[in-house]
Amino acid sequence: MSSEASRAGTISRVCDYFDDGTFEKELARRVAFRTESQRPEGLSELHRYIDEEMIPAFEAMGFKTRIYENPHQGCGPFLLAERHEDDVLPTVLGYGHGDVIQGLDDQWTKGEGPWVTARDGDRIYGRGTADNKGQHTINMAAMRAVLEERDRLGFNAKVLIEMGEENGSKGLREVITGNKEDFAADVFIGSDGPRVRADLPTVTLGNRGGEPFDLLVELREGAHHSGNWGGLLASPGAILANALATIVDENGAIQIEEWLPPPVSNSIRMALKDIEIDPGVDGPEIDPDWGQPGLTPAEKVYAWNSFEVLALKIGNPDKPVNAIPGKAWAHCQLRYVVGTDHDNIIPALKKHLAKHGFDKVQVLPPHPANTGGFIASQTDMDHPWSKWVRDSIQHTAGEEPAVIPSMGGSIGNDIFTDILGLPAIWVPHSYAACSQHAPDEHVLASVSRNALELMAGLYWDLGGGKTPGRA
Amino acid sequence: MSRSQAVANALARYDDDGDEGYYARLAKLVGVKTESQNPDRLKEHYAYVKDHMIPALERLGYECRVYDNPFEGCGPVFLAKLIEDESLPTLLCYGHGDVVLGMEGQWDEDRDPWALTFDGDRVYGRGTADNKGQHLAHLVALESILETRGKLGFNSKVVIEQGEENGSKGFREILGANQDDFKADAFFSSDGPRANIAEPNISLGNRGCLNFNLVANFREGGHHSGNWGGLLRSPAVRLTHALSSIMTPKGEILVEGWRPKNIPDSVRAALGDGERSAGEDGPAIDTDWGEPGYTGAERVSIWNSFEVLAMQIGNPDRPVNAVPPLARACCQLRHVIETKQEDILPILRIHLDERGFSDIDFEEPPEENRGYFSPGRTNPDHPWANWLISAVERVGNGKCGVVPCSGGSNVTGTIGSELGMPFAWLPMSYLACSQHAPNEHIFKPLMREGLALITGVYWEMGEEIGYRP
Repeated sequence: MSSEASRAGTISRVCDYFDDGTFEKELARRVAFRTESQRPEGLSELHRYIDEEMIPAFEAMGFKTRIYENPHQGCGPFLLAERHEDDVLPTVLGYGHGDVIQGLDDQWTKGEGPWVTARDGDRIYGRGTADNKGQHTINMAAMRAVLEERDRLGFNAKVLIEMGEENGSKGLREVITGNKEDFAADVFIGSDGPRVRADLPTVTLGNRGGEPFDLLVELREGAHHSGNWGGLLASPGAILANALATIVDENGAIQIEEWLPPPVSNSIRMALKDIEIDPGVDGPEIDPDWGQPGLTPAEKVYAWNSFEVLALKIGNPDKPVNAIPGKAWAHCQLRYVVGTDHDNIIPALKKHLAKHGFDKVQVLPPHPANTGGFIASQTDMDHPWSKWVRDSIQHTAGEEPAVIPSMGGSIGNDIFTDILGLPAIWVPHSYAACSQHAPDEHVLASVSRNALELMAGLYWDLGGGKTPGRA
Repeated sequence: MSRSQAVANALARYDDDGDEGYYARLAKLVGVKTESQNPDRLKEHYAYVKDHMIPALERLGYECRVYDNPFEGCGPVFLAKLIEDESLPTLLCYGHGDVVLGMEGQWDEDRDPWALTFDGDRVYGRGTADNKGQHLAHLVALESILETRGKLGFNSKVVIEQGEENGSKGFREILGANQDDFKADAFFSSDGPRANIAEPNISLGNRGCLNFNLVANFREGGHHSGNWGGLLRSPAVRLTHALSSIMTPKGEILVEGWRPKNIPDSVRAALGDGERSAGEDGPAIDTDWGEPGYTGAERVSIWNSFEVLAMQIGNPDRPVNAVPPLARACCQLRHVIETKQEDILPILRIHLDERGFSDIDFEEPPEENRGYFSPGRTNPDHPWANWLISAVERVGNGKCGVVPCSGGSNVTGTIGSELGMPFAWLPMSYLACSQHAPNEHIFKPLMREGLALITGVYWEMGEEIGYRP
């Protein structure tokens, strides 16, 4: 152990790592893997990312690695990297995902397309830069800096890298449930998703769930001449549009009572009262009149439910013809917070449609390309680990981090809270306008550098002996 | 020399299996790939007119003329005239030689759309029903009259256009600029299906057709539905709500100005209690759909219908968890003459604005689907309609149904407004003929009966009892 090892020295190491271009180089190498988990043909890339990129990096840091094959046919593997220093030390489970959503190659307008990173001012473009390759690259580099500074971590580290997050994390639940001992820890600290504002360090304590489903109005086979039959044959488009219009009102407020969470609690209102959602320069403009009336934007996304039609198709949109289509289809999603009766989402929808006379609207399992549902979960604001992480970040940043009780996006948090029984704390390194599920995904260089500092400080502190005691 | 001889002459041509028979001639017409929605078919449109129509009509003594289309890339309009005596009345027969896309590869049993395939009473091929088979029947009928009587006994004009399935672009302009060439005393043609497979009918009008896109285009690019869901106005929600303000889930139109007013009693009376029958292969009619208090026939003939022809939100083939930036619906209103086409979109704009849907924009439909047919209708108590009904009933020795207005759209409105003549159609196809889909076909017994009827009608036109306006 170097006699001058210090917190400041660790932070200085990650800053050098960033400033000399190594961070961007590592990220570029990782982005180049086309790890699209929603495409079956991406499977070999998912394996290659683990074998050629993750395992060598962890082994170089003195981690042992183990691969868990996915019990679901055609889905990517899981990697658990572990560095065990001493039984008396606290064990931290970290997390990242090496898969990305589809490249959408032909839709990029910035940078060099999805698979080649490109720097443009403060931005680094590329698929996975934000979600999530950039984020686990930051955390791994921060741990490496502690190792280099202190010659050991000072805590036991486990890091889970999954390769199917964007495809609904298929198999993750089974693998963790079947190997609880392997993944056991004292606390979960992972990184994914956006900060509340690019320049404001953020701690996230849970996530909304996501329930995907399809609606289908299938009235007859084939299409029929709209002149000869218009007025005689029911229109699947009119029926589906009307059915959707009963689910939310014209301003997006949910109309199915069973789909609503309990009123926003006072402690959550307090935590969110100063949080403004800042979309950034290129982010979408927030529509203040949209969604549930009476809630602030932060409450709408961090403490309330929202419904969206992710995709819809009637007839042949590329070449419309003058015919009454035989069917209409929509792929929908409810994002919901803790407190919503998850098991009742689909039954309540069926009841609602029946009540409004939409017996022709079928509720079906979601489109095979987007089957993944997420369950909502949340760690209490006052949990000792929650406070400890916030204090460490404040120490580095010089200001209190924002706290999101439940982030809008879904991160599979319940697997750590409910199956492993861990307090789960997320420290996100992206920002809202990063286009993470769209073309032109990017991270901000300045935020990445700042995140490296925070994580280096946090991992340093984890090894400093002043962590919360075991329950 | 009698009507029955003329009819027998026509039917002999229909039943003839040889090169000069009806089906051998139809096969040649179907073989010309006259897709008007395909911009590469201009050569085929001219070939149809010059290699097929001109020889067939010149042989009968018609004087032929071809009018080039003022619209770039669109097929010509063909006119043939046989004027026997200026004092006799003139009938105008219309047909269209173009067809919808062949849709090769989508036909059952891998049938070739450009060749005839016989299967029992069904004869498959693109254009058999819509409209090559039907205007060919008129040519055969006229030929049979000429052969039987040695003359028509009236004047005849035959007009064939090559762009009906693409919105008849240029047809109005050509008619408008050459009104004297095309003018006649009455219009008698065949297109489309019978209302009821079991009974012949004439149709005295057509609904118009206006296509338009409704678009909710709020921002560039999709945004993560978890991080943004609840914060961003959803194009899908806005557009589906706008659509639900236009039509109920039961098919009732909610746009007040789109609900036809003052339909004449004679029109409603002519419809009677006629029910629609698609034949056994047709789709089941939804009796609980459409304007309440109207019969199925009334909903198609004297009421407007709104349809979402196509709609897309996000990426339906590969949905992702993002708030889509845009929603688009390709919509259509089929409308009767009581709804003025030029009022349709202004009325909808006001309707949407009044309900807070100013964020829903109008957009031109895609080029290949810009149907702008105006509606047209001849009153059922017009002398031409009366004469034709009685002629069909005499010839067919049975009832002739009257459809005051067909649901589909075509050039009826253009001919009515440009040439100001009464018109009537005698359709020879049936509703389940798949006319705009793969497997288009005609039904032999219907075609044969239709040919006999029009031959009889043409015969009577040349007699003392013929229509004399």
